[in-house]
Amino acid sequence: MEALRNALDFSDFPRTDLVVAAVVAAVLVAFPLMPYSSFAMATMIQFLMFSIYGMGWNTIGGYGGQVDLGKAQYVGIGAYTTAVMLIRWDVPFWVSMPVGMALAVGWSFVIGYPLFKLKGHYFAIATIATSLVIKDLFEVWDFVGAARGLHISPVKYPPPDFLRLIFKEDVYYYYFLLGFFFLGILIINWFRHSRLGFQLRAIRDNEDLARSLGINVHWAKIKTYALATAFVSAVGSFHAVYIKNIEPEDTMSLDISVLIALMAMLGGAGSLWGPIIGAGILIPLKSYLKEWLGAKAGLIGIDLILYAVIIMLVSAVEPKGIWGLLDRLRRAKRSR
Amino acid sequence: MKRVWISGWVVLLALGLACSGVLAPSQVSAQQEVTIGVIYPLTGGAASAGRELQYGAELAAEIANNVMAELAMDMAKNAGIKSLNGAKIKLVFKDHEGNPTLGADLAKKLILDDKVVGILGCYHSSVTKAVSAVCEQYKVPMINDSSTSPILTQQGYKWFWRTTPHDGTFTKDLFEFLKGLSEGKAKGVKAVPKQELMNLAAACEKTEWGSAASGLIEKYAKEYGYDLKRNLLYAAKSADLSSEVRSLLAVKPDGMLFASYTSDAILMLKTLKAEKAKPKLIWGQDAGFETPEFRTTLGEDIVGVLTRTVFSPKLGQVKKISGQVNELYKKKTGYDLSDASARGFTGVQTWVHVLEKAGSTKPEAIQAAANEIHIPGEQLVVPWKGIKFSTSGEEIGQNLLGSGIIGQYQKNQAGEVVLEIVYPFELATANLIYPFKGF
Repeated sequence: MEALRNALDFSDFPRTDLVVAAVVAAVLVAFPLMPYSSFAMATMIQFLMFSIYGMGWNTIGGYGGQVDLGKAQYVGIGAYTTAVMLIRWDVPFWVSMPVGMALAVGWSFVIGYPLFKLKGHYFAIATIATSLVIKDLFEVWDFVGAARGLHISPVKYPPPDFLRLIFKEDVYYYYFLLGFFFLGILIINWFRHSRLGFQLRAIRDNEDLARSLGINVHWAKIKTYALATAFVSAVGSFHAVYIKNIEPEDTMSLDISVLIALMAMLGGAGSLWGPIIGAGILIPLKSYLKEWLGAKAGLIGIDLILYAVIIMLVSAVEPKGIWGLLDRLRRAKRSR
Repeated sequence: MKRVWISGWVVLLALGLACSGVLAPSQVSAQQEVTIGVIYPLTGGAASAGRELQYGAELAAEIANNVMAELAMDMAKNAGIKSLNGAKIKLVFKDHEGNPTLGADLAKKLILDDKVVGILGCYHSSVTKAVSAVCEQYKVPMINDSSTSPILTQQGYKWFWRTTPHDGTFTKDLFEFLKGLSEGKAKGVKAVPKQELMNLAAACEKTEWGSAASGLIEKYAKEYGYDLKRNLLYAAKSADLSSEVRSLLAVKPDGMLFASYTSDAILMLKTLKAEKAKPKLIWGQDAGFETPEFRTTLGEDIVGVLTRTVFSPKLGQVKKISGQVNELYKKKTGYDLSDASARGFTGVQTWVHVLEKAGSTKPEAIQAAANEIHIPGEQLVVPWKGIKFSTSGEEIGQNLLGSGIIGQYQKNQAGEVVLEIVYPFELATANLIYPFKGF
């Protein structure tokens, strides 16, 4: 009951924030009711996916200050669990997704224990290493299709299929994911108010001091890491039925880990809205720059250059990301 | 204060709204145009092959849209598609970067937003697999010109046709070549005892295409009685292949076999050179081994290297149409036609024939036409007997009349590195260089 109260408690935000957040939420709900293109829909689905990935990353990376660059392994575990269970045993998505989350969380406990003995960049490097090892293992594991991966055939599983979450129209996937997006916000909001959330922030600010106050630093990090993993694995399961074609190189690439961290950092790590702002800016920017300046305009590669320049500019102006920039402006206004 | 605060949020909102249909890039086809979506890797490790494919496809569209009486091709006789009142072919290119997820998204965009009548692509077998699933779901015809993993035509899809032969054919060709070498059939080379080439080592990139190629090499090595001592997969994006090369050289291979995209093929050869490798034979499964960059970057180092291919400029000596189209292509790009550009060209040519036969842009009419079509070999720039798709059996939509050739890089009298045909033996345009002289 108290957890639910915490999840629904946004009273520490200024009213303006809440009004804007409500408008954004209304736009997201209404988006499919307006005329839209398939390209816009695909972009919005990508935005929701990376927002949820980012929310998960933000618990350990933002509130905990532990730079995790190995989230792709959990995308892979979620995606592969769903795909394997569907293809081999015809298990519905609604069963395979929680199983995938459980497996991913279990694995996060196994590697989290030694990982959180490390600090700073050693931890970041170790997360990359574990993710790459898992990817390499999947590439030689015949049971999961090895390097060629798994394919959910539209011939064998014709849409629409609510149990297996296979649809022809993306709008169903969109609303499914939007439900998760709102649930994710509530979970992160609960986390912010929870004892664990406060412990994490204390650890981020001064680990030794936190330990002297009786906080079990190691265990707090492991629990938060597991929470982050559950988020990422759930979206990984979704990725499998949405894309219908998963292979280690595509599903567990380092690019995905970096993008997840990048979006949360650029939006503002350690804030509730940061990952959403980061994904809301970077995903459309990436998609539309490519569309308008890429192959169509004959300026191949210019989209990537512009994308990189924008990221560098934001990072140079405000290391705390977009949310930090807005916060700075707000404080400057107050001090006048 | 509030104004500043709200303006920050407005940025996010504006970007969200920018995703609405109003601002979505879209393509409005004029009635006298038939739009085909083409998905190739225009950036990333296989970008050079992607550009080759694009130029080949563009040249075919140019020929189809104009009368070029000097070319003995049906599609050069009319300006546009005659059965569609002279409608012009319009190609909309998209860049998938070698990423299957992006490829699937682009296919949806082309189908739903750009309203293309069909799809062509995608080079990477992994991307083709994802895109073909989207096409199957939306019942939109897709012609695949350049992906060679056998599985693509074994999925029972009704909206997918592949013009190129697949790696099953190509890998068998390699072992037939080795067999012929031991029987003294190779031009200019005495019979090579089988024992001399018994030990093989293979390295293939580890996506759908390379994994399938690796499996086929293993299968045929066993079938033809060769000893495959090492068969490893590696990441095409690798920045360093030293450990892979050392692992291959550790088994002292007589023949080294590769399935690589462009950047990794170049890196692999450079690493072999650095390690002073000297196998008797090096063979590449086309792709990276066949791009102009491979040739220009490595220069004389590749003299003696073999690659399977479906096209060589030397074909122009025995096939007039190949020579004519090669000249047009050279005028346009400065390069000879390559395997990739020839296959891109043939992909669009097949689309033109299918649309001409269908006389309609309705998917069902195109499907029926594709299943019935027969393009005679003399109309093609590639050395195939023609194009006719299978409609039953284990493989659906596979061109039954395709075949491959094996080329070898050799230096011509002008000192240029060119690709000579060495297999089929009866088509050989030069003596085989054997053994490989080393770097």
